[in-house]
Amino acid sequence: MSAAFLQVAGVTKSFGRQRALDRMSLEIADGEAVAILGPSGCGKTTLLRLVAGLDVPDEGGIVLGGREVARAGRNLVPPHERLIGFVFQDLALWPHLTVRGNLTFVLGSVGVARAAWDARVRGVLELVRIGALADRYPHQLSGGEQQRAALARALVGQPRLLLLDEPFSSLDPELRLVLRGELVALRQTLALTTVYVTHDPEDVRAVADRVVRMQAGRIDAVPADGSHSSHSED
Amino acid sequence: MIGTALVLFAIACLLPAGYMLVAGLETGVQRSAAAAFLLDARQRELLTNSALLGTGTALISSAVGVPLGLALARIPLPWKPGLRLALAAPALLPPYIVGLAWIYVGGTRGPLAAVAGRELLSDWTYSLPGAVIVLSLVFYPLSMLATEVAVRRIEGRLEEAALLVAAPGRVVRRISLPLAAPGILAAALITFVLAVSEFGVPGLLRVRVFTTEVFTAFAALYDFGRAAQLTLPLLLLSLAVAGSAGALAGERLLTTPRGAGSRPVSLHSWRVPAVAGVLLVIAVTLLCPLIVLGLEARQVPSMREVFAGSSGAIANSLTLGATGATAVVALAVWIGYARARARPRIGRIVDGLLVVLFALPSTIVGVGLIGLWNRPGPIGAIYGTHLMVLLGYLARLVPVAALLLAAAVRHIPVSQEEAASVSGAGWLRTMWCVVFPQMRLGLGAAWVVVFVLACGELGTTILVAPPGEATLPIRIYTIIANTPSSHVAALALLQAGVIFAPLAILGLAVSPRVTR
Repeated sequence: MSAAFLQVAGVTKSFGRQRALDRMSLEIADGEAVAILGPSGCGKTTLLRLVAGLDVPDEGGIVLGGREVARAGRNLVPPHERLIGFVFQDLALWPHLTVRGNLTFVLGSVGVARAAWDARVRGVLELVRIGALADRYPHQLSGGEQQRAALARALVGQPRLLLLDEPFSSLDPELRLVLRGELVALRQTLALTTVYVTHDPEDVRAVADRVVRMQAGRIDAVPADGSHSSHSED
Repeated sequence: MIGTALVLFAIACLLPAGYMLVAGLETGVQRSAAAAFLLDARQRELLTNSALLGTGTALISSAVGVPLGLALARIPLPWKPGLRLALAAPALLPPYIVGLAWIYVGGTRGPLAAVAGRELLSDWTYSLPGAVIVLSLVFYPLSMLATEVAVRRIEGRLEEAALLVAAPGRVVRRISLPLAAPGILAAALITFVLAVSEFGVPGLLRVRVFTTEVFTAFAALYDFGRAAQLTLPLLLLSLAVAGSAGALAGERLLTTPRGAGSRPVSLHSWRVPAVAGVLLVIAVTLLCPLIVLGLEARQVPSMREVFAGSSGAIANSLTLGATGATAVVALAVWIGYARARARPRIGRIVDGLLVVLFALPSTIVGVGLIGLWNRPGPIGAIYGTHLMVLLGYLARLVPVAALLLAAAVRHIPVSQEEAASVSGAGWLRTMWCVVFPQMRLGLGAAWVVVFVLACGELGTTILVAPPGEATLPIRIYTIIANTPSSHVAALALLQAGVIFAPLAILGLAVSPRVTR
């Protein structure tokens, strides 16, 4: 395994009296796809939010690409400077912007020159197979198309790390299968470091190089050798 | 019970407006069909002035209110509940009280003249821009509260998704404010209508607009036909704009949902300038008018004499205000309940109707009530009594109370009523034992708001009050021309006290429950 790209070291996070993460540690190598599997409420989403900088750890620290981005009680690097793509469970597409608007907001924010926007938008929309839908608003898209648009938005800024929070949980089984296949293909194309949160073992089999299982805010089991392609949920 | 309430609502609120609409159309047809719709030069001037008054007030109110609403929603301000209350307080001051302060501040003996050695605002004091400024000082809280509610309604995840790629300032500009825009625009439209409907300030500052002309035509010239005719353009304008505002606001009038588990953008770094801005606005809009009135009132030789001369008006204001608030809330609670439990589509229509009725110009409501009740026979027995003032309060204030109470009902899950029903409780028992106890705070707040608004009501009351009887606003308005300004200022301060005392009590009752 290459040097860790993402290091989560002894992170604890509580909400009131409830401890969402309990001294959790995790390392993910550059280019690796890790699936985090666990029941609802075990802290999977909290972990993603801490990595993204949307929440602050109570204890422990997080290192991203060799740079410490968070430590106990404070974020050292704000979310928008971490170069992270995030697909939320409810997608969080901005309803007042078209698909193109959703993407160009990202490009404008990360400082891409306006002249390059069209090509970037076209390229990423082709990649997720909704090239013809750039001028539609989110409510004019089907569930699968919205999913693709959210993925396109997460990728268009060329992030260093892609976080996916149960992105297919609201889709019917047939569409899940199709999109899961497309995500695998995308991963192979982009070789992007990916953290994929799910409670569905089927997703894990298709998407991840490695599986981390969580229970009550802690890692429950990791393959003994820490090797890739350890689908321990089989 | 709801059926009875709806009938009373129709009689109290819908009939006066409907009567004036029909009377306006009939008069127009009798005098000249074209005159009803194509305005003569005088009416065009009135329309231009009214439109400028409404537009200017809406723009300035939004310019002040939107940043404040954003600050309350997204900046962790210290003492936030107190600041919110202080910022919202000017909306409950009768506009003519701020108008009085405006006259005194720019007057010959005013503080500005004392400091500068010459009159700085004399050209502006009695002018359309002056009226715009005064009304903006009173109405900006509407824009502020609408913005705060609209921004709080934004699904936090949408802002979080933007925060991953953009700095907070850009997120606010590009994501938060556009998403809140319908609520902000609705507030601007309502402000426009309220400004156009306002009677006291244009009357005080001698700005000729439709409401003052309706009052003059009816009360000075005794020309009901002209008053009815003047009503029509104003009524149609109010209907169109307030209806649009109601449609834009939609469910936003009643609910403030927020996505669970998300953390919206928080503008910590803007905290210091925001606090400074908030304190400046409180100083200008709330403290300055009161201080100016206080300075003016200092010259009164004997406060006791001032209050003794107006004791009847003070007593009338308090008793009619309290009775009116009780009657309004007693009716509005059923209307609000029916609204809250209505199907969404019907609910949106009702919201639009309530906004339109609330925004109806007060002088039009007054003339409509007189037209309806001033007739021979048993119906006419009410006319010339204090009941007319109460009818005026019902017509003007049931809509706003119903909106407030509908919001309170919406917080009670329907399943609680269903549980009572399957447990054998009848509908009234369910309302009495399950619904109303959970609405106590909402009912109390609605009563205080209605009491405050009733105590400050002028445009309708001045028309329908029995001969020789006055409330405090009528007393203040009618003695301005021939009484020393110190005397008027003292009464205006008393009026402010009548308004702020119950608000302070409500604030103390609510503050332990306010968590954000």
